[in-house]
Amino acid sequence: MSKRLIYILLPLLLFTACPSDKQKDTDFSKEFEIPDSIIYEGELEISEQAMGDIVQNISSPVEIAALIKAVGVPYSQDYLATTDYIDNYNTSFKKAIGLGIFGADLGYQNMYNKTSSVIDYIHAIKTLADGIRVGQFFDFTTLKRLATNNQNLDSLMYISVQNFNQMDRYLRESNRSSLSSLIVAGVWIESIYLLGEVIKKSPNAELSEKIGEQKIILSNLMLLLKNYERDPRFKELIDDLSVIQEIYREVTITYEKGEPEAIEEDGMLIFKQNDKQFIEISDETLFKIIDKTVEVRNKIIQL
Amino acid sequence: MRMKTIYIIPTLFLIILFGNTKLYAQSGQELVDICGMVAGHATGDATLLKDFQIKLDEAKPGEEAPRAVYSVVLSKNTEYLFSICNSRDYPGEAIFQLYDNNRLLVTNYIISTGKYYPKVSFKCSTTGVYHMFITFKEGKQGLAVTLLSFVKRL
Repeated sequence: MSKRLIYILLPLLLFTACPSDKQKDTDFSKEFEIPDSIIYEGELEISEQAMGDIVQNISSPVEIAALIKAVGVPYSQDYLATTDYIDNYNTSFKKAIGLGIFGADLGYQNMYNKTSSVIDYIHAIKTLADGIRVGQFFDFTTLKRLATNNQNLDSLMYISVQNFNQMDRYLRESNRSSLSSLIVAGVWIESIYLLGEVIKKSPNAELSEKIGEQKIILSNLMLLLKNYERDPRFKELIDDLSVIQEIYREVTITYEKGEPEAIEEDGMLIFKQNDKQFIEISDETLFKIIDKTVEVRNKIIQL
Repeated sequence: MRMKTIYIIPTLFLIILFGNTKLYAQSGQELVDICGMVAGHATGDATLLKDFQIKLDEAKPGEEAPRAVYSVVLSKNTEYLFSICNSRDYPGEAIFQLYDNNRLLVTNYIISTGKYYPKVSFKCSTTGVYHMFITFKEGKQGLAVTLLSFVKRL
């Protein structure tokens, strides 16, 4: 009897001696030490460490989509990049930038609770993520279930954002920041494309101003991408975005300083910034930016 | 034989029990999920934008407390929520501060009153790059998560 007990307990002991998945923190880089042809091998202008210190959230599909929805513009599937030619995203460069583009489209659909069309996009994202070996962070099964059941839509948004954060963190930690930068670039390009398409159909001062303030964001994105400009594919992307940046020279941004204030409401501390920011963008400049963004974006998705 | 068994079985149980305590150590990702509940992601009160997992060592004697620094882009006319959650496995309590170029705009710890807030709201009026500084109170060792969430357009 006692021998039997030992036979039962020994495997249990061995099992507990092995770390569980939950124990292993988030440092997956040690877990997946695989040679990777998509690690950027050129010299960086700044170190990978410093890359991590650069702006963490250059563009957010959530915020742009929330703004589009807040101004009362109806949803349109026509704005979105097609997932029909996913196989054409056949290099790590194209897969990473495509991930950003489809990520932005997913954010837009999630914001409008368009779960029926979401499945194609989460499938495309999973395919591209697998292609650059970050598919393990994209919870396709849960997202598909939530989308299919048309429930827990907040969870759908939360999980998809969190999955993108995990992919981004893993790429940075495993010295593949170049791919992380491309995802960021893809999100930014698609977000501005979406804004532009909406403005063309429903002109709106707030949306136009949003395009104008991207002057600040684009300069940070360029800083990020220029680290890899020795790669001809990056060089081409940088050259395309430089044209947009050149147009942005016509946008003027001025500031008026104010004193920040803090108030406590229902136990919550609320800080209010009282600075003012004025963005001047003419219609001509606005449409030059929109047209050039369409050109850059379509060049990427038509492949 | 029977006596041996009496010793072996409880010993094995103790080892298993000891091993199992490790399973309950909070990982950064688990903290993100817990903090998401604090932020109200499940109820739709806020939408996650970015999570920051911070693990810092204890400050060495005579030296400043270690700190983590991140830069984020925030947009004008937008309300954001910063949620700060500390791991129960470490003594440190995270102090969060948000700066623009040179001014402190947001913090979750008011030194004058000693009040500590697990989440703070920021009504942003200027699109630009902001800098997040995270340290642990009294330079203690700590593991914490800070979530940046979108609340609403203003």
